[in-house]
Amino acid sequence: MSATAKRHAEEVTWPHCRSGAATAEISGMTSAPVIDVERLNLSYGDFHAVRDLTFHVRRGEFYALLGTNGAGKTSTLEIIEGHRTATSGAVRVFGQSPRARRAVRPRMGIMLQESGFSPDLTVRESVRLIGRLTERTDQVDRVLGVVDLTHKAGTKVSQLSGGEKRRLDFATAVYGTPELIFLDEPTTGLDIQSRDDLWDAVDRLREDGSTVVLTTHYLEEAQQRADRIGLMHKGTFHREGTVADLTRTLPSVIRFTLPVPAPVLPLQATRKNDGKFVVETFALNKDLHTLLGWAQDNAVDLRDLEAGPTRLDDVFRAIGN
Amino acid sequence: MLTIAFSELVQIFRNRLVLVTSLVIPVAVSAFFVSRHEVFAELGGLGYIAAVVVFTVAAFGLYTTTVTTLASRRQNLFLKRLRSTAASDAGILSGLLLPITVITLVQVTAILAVFAGVTGTPANVPLLVAAVAATVVMMLGLGLATAGLTNSPEHAQVTTLPISIGTIAVASWVGLTGTEELTLLKRLLPGGAATELVGNAWDGGVAVPDSLVLLAPTLGWVVVAVALASRFFRWEPRR
Repeated sequence: MSATAKRHAEEVTWPHCRSGAATAEISGMTSAPVIDVERLNLSYGDFHAVRDLTFHVRRGEFYALLGTNGAGKTSTLEIIEGHRTATSGAVRVFGQSPRARRAVRPRMGIMLQESGFSPDLTVRESVRLIGRLTERTDQVDRVLGVVDLTHKAGTKVSQLSGGEKRRLDFATAVYGTPELIFLDEPTTGLDIQSRDDLWDAVDRLREDGSTVVLTTHYLEEAQQRADRIGLMHKGTFHREGTVADLTRTLPSVIRFTLPVPAPVLPLQATRKNDGKFVVETFALNKDLHTLLGWAQDNAVDLRDLEAGPTRLDDVFRAIGN
Repeated sequence: MLTIAFSELVQIFRNRLVLVTSLVIPVAVSAFFVSRHEVFAELGGLGYIAAVVVFTVAAFGLYTTTVTTLASRRQNLFLKRLRSTAASDAGILSGLLLPITVITLVQVTAILAVFAGVTGTPANVPLLVAAVAATVVMMLGLGLATAGLTNSPEHAQVTTLPISIGTIAVASWVGLTGTEELTLLKRLLPGGAATELVGNAWDGGVAVPDSLVLLAPTLGWVVVAVALASRFFRWEPRR
């Protein structure tokens, strides 16, 4: 079952696992936006951190907010979380102001970019404190198990490594399986195993119907998981859409070197300073097939051949250029 | 609020620096005044000693710990973390400040009880309670305001000095010299009217309505402190 089909199936079945108003709302309007941002602006004096930003996140969606440094994604996220007030525009979370904490916060989990735990409390005490304040119900031991911190339950936060603090942060965000989870740079400082464990936990939350909003500098994480991506630059969206939407505007690239002399190429190519030939194409399969056929027919050895679809990294670099 | 308060109490008892500054030093200074009460009573009367004890605990215990705690919790983003939950701002502040407030009240009560045991009971206990309560609220308000101007716990060692030293100095000045001269100035200074009120409650001899008027300047400082706090208090470090 594909991830999308699986999610669709979950949307149909998972309301039986939840209770109260959330169930009624979900069963009634599965496509209603969980987050509604309209013409959002945020200024610090003369500096416009966010400009006229509009987007929506649907229930069950994995939405990635990406951007260059200083693009405004953390400011945007903090407004949606209710930590910051917009200069103008409207933000609704579950149809309400994100600053209506008592109404909104029990339904959302927030993993902050930086730790924010008291160094004198233990891991267990920290999870219990924040968990209780979210007004969701869960078992501290279960949550510690999810992030593999059970063996550190009695350790003071001041004695944790950076990666363990990130896992603790994640634990408080997912306490009680919230309907909406904000992950702000969640894997920064985590080793490979911890990253995999974290994403496995996120996958399980999604199977339970949770909506995820992610910011990260690890583009491959967004490329692999996000249903849609908002690509920010200088306070507003440079592009928004699926990975395919974002990458299809840039050509794929085929790189190779040729022996000298060589027959005339069947494709338009540019020769770079390092001697490599570069073919930019929107029809990667067809052109690669043509090139390989030409090489075989002419007994040409295509050295250092590289070819691949356009990646999110390429879209990012295009912004910078 | 109680969840945060319990957590804060745990943190106070685990942090030796806070434990010493908020518990040990005020008690030690107060114990000195009580043990030498005959000397100090000759200088300013028993009411003066009671006032100095109240302000020593309120300034070094309550006020300094309030500023240090809030600056520390803001610096390590604990305030932001708490605001990521369903807790209200008022609930967060109340929870953070409840333990040290209770500790202060217990300290003041215990020290004054010992003092009363040594020198005799105060003339008007309800008035003394009102004076202590007003002083505690004023120092909490000033603590909130000062926390807004304090970037870190280390910075708090500097920013708390003017008010902590100032209020004890005012208490000593008013307690030792009385308010017959420079009456308005002494009563308007932070801690001046409260010192006179504690003195009246302990020593007696002043009509209760005349003493109750002395609550007004103290409560006035509460209003000023809350206004300053609402203007300057920050939940996150400056970027």
